[in-house]
Amino acid sequence: MQQHAKGRPVPLWLKSGRVQTGLVIIFILAVCAIFAPYLAPNDPNEQNLLSILTPPVWADGGDAMFPLGTDSLGRCVLSRLIFGARVALTVAFTASIGAMIIGAFFAHVAGYFGGWVDWVIGRIVEIWLSFPPVILSLILMVGLGTGLRNVVLAIVLVDWTRFCRVLRSEVIVLRRRDYVSAAQLIGFSHWRTITREILPGTLPLLITLMSLEMGVAIIVEAILSFVGMSVGSETAAWGQMIADARQNIYEAPFNLIAPIFAIFFAVFGFNILGDGLRRTLDTRLTQTERT
Amino acid sequence: MRMIATIAKLLVKRVLTAIPILLLVSALLFCILRILPVDPAAMSLPPNATVQEVEAMRTEMGLNLPLYQQYGIWLNKLFHGDIGRSIHFRQDVTSLIGSTLPATIELAVIAMMVATVFGLAGGLFLFYVRGTRAEAVMDFVSILLLSLPEFLWSLFLLLIFGVFFEVLPFTGRLSPGFERPVVTGFLLLDSLITGKISTFLNALQHMILPCLALGIALSPSLMRVLRSSLLDAYQDDYIQQARLRGLSEKRILIRHGLKNAILPTLSLMGVQFGFLFGGTLLVEIIYSYPGMGNLMVDAIRNADLPIIQGAGLTYCVAVLVISIVVDSLYLILNPKLRVR
Repeated sequence: MQQHAKGRPVPLWLKSGRVQTGLVIIFILAVCAIFAPYLAPNDPNEQNLLSILTPPVWADGGDAMFPLGTDSLGRCVLSRLIFGARVALTVAFTASIGAMIIGAFFAHVAGYFGGWVDWVIGRIVEIWLSFPPVILSLILMVGLGTGLRNVVLAIVLVDWTRFCRVLRSEVIVLRRRDYVSAAQLIGFSHWRTITREILPGTLPLLITLMSLEMGVAIIVEAILSFVGMSVGSETAAWGQMIADARQNIYEAPFNLIAPIFAIFFAVFGFNILGDGLRRTLDTRLTQTERT
Repeated sequence: MRMIATIAKLLVKRVLTAIPILLLVSALLFCILRILPVDPAAMSLPPNATVQEVEAMRTEMGLNLPLYQQYGIWLNKLFHGDIGRSIHFRQDVTSLIGSTLPATIELAVIAMMVATVFGLAGGLFLFYVRGTRAEAVMDFVSILLLSLPEFLWSLFLLLIFGVFFEVLPFTGRLSPGFERPVVTGFLLLDSLITGKISTFLNALQHMILPCLALGIALSPSLMRVLRSSLLDAYQDDYIQQARLRGLSEKRILIRHGLKNAILPTLSLMGVQFGFLFGGTLLVEIIYSYPGMGNLMVDAIRNADLPIIQGAGLTYCVAVLVISIVVDSLYLILNPKLRVR
């Protein structure tokens, strides 16, 4: 491994081009989300009914006040796009952490104890998977009601199985390792064995899955806000922008392209980060596949 | 003979485990939707109804009974093929689902075929270019493709082929002026049975974009699994053995490599096709396609509980059926599981 100038080795995963690409994209989005009020040229909710559906600034009839044009209520598309990053990233981070905690907990319990505990958790996951995720999250949103907190809750309740399924088989492999038996022989409690001996082994997979889950969460939020079941209409969200632009597809096709691209950009960022992490952190991948 | 017996055994086992799953799912659906802060009784009455009338309706609909009793009544009706009446459409839920389900099945089945073709072709191509510079490029492209879900593909294809180039229709199932033949409820099938080729072609045109969107969105994950299973299969001795026997590379790939690599791909397809069935919901809304997805979203917007419960359960049954079918296929194709 190459030594850094200051003598501290750069971790292998950070040297991957994919990880770097992903981190840059996420950084750009995070800046947009955090500094939205300073970056956005207009108030995202301000309606200019005199200039509705104006094209972007480079097209004929574009207005420099609205760089990416306006929607059907005369709201600035660029500002809504920037503010939409807030909803997307909030959901991405909180929902994936929530889903990870629940999923990882059940995966470790099921994989470590085996037997009837494993059986029960396995059946619960099976029931969950018999629902298409989109349908289940929609039904949950009907039950919970709209709002940011409920969107996060719905995604957590739907997607924890993604973690549980994959991590469980990893835990089963790790549980048979000698050092786990050694820890049990010394008299480590179950909790301590899981957190000290098994969790470090599942951590790489867990981080990778989390990165992918953030992309999934962004898509699910967009879908929910597209059908009007996410945050209220006073908060700008990418899915809502798509739904609005869909009504005026002939007059203002660009209004549709902008949020599609934003979602794609964000999801791509998390996917490429996840792929890069998987390649560098997964110990079972051969060296050839890593390059 | 033996194979049929094994498959029959699997089918019986799977159907038996599906029953408790469906019962639990229905209970779950029932509970989630009962938390809802809307009053179905008040909704099925005109807005000027008195409090007494609403109360009478509540008693009539059984809303004053304890939850488990309500569930029992609902379940009992379900077994008699009655899942209630839509509050909004004022129609039986069974007939509403019956009239929309065939459209969704047609969409899902054709999309699965598209996904299979793209997935197999792409996977073989990815494998074919292994170790070259093209592989790195293709690998990157497949991550790009993975980042576009069916929902964005639908909009994207709609913009390109429907709005910018105007070569394909993108709303509904038939252009105005075409009459809908009704025999089985499956439009493509019906138009063929009644011999209306022009109707068939028109319906097919309407399905190109939605099916492409679903198929393309699903194919990258299939491609990647097929590629890595092919790589795995090629590590095994029998490939080298076949080479020593002087078989052509093409024959090795098809008879030896693909035959073994197809199994992991198939088991992924089972899961993916279940997701695809749910994915039709968004695609249907975007293309105004009159299937279950549109029914479901209409129901959600109107808080029409009987439809949400009925349609939710139907989606669930569909996923279970798909997974049972794929598992049986897996058994047919995998000799290792057959001989016990």
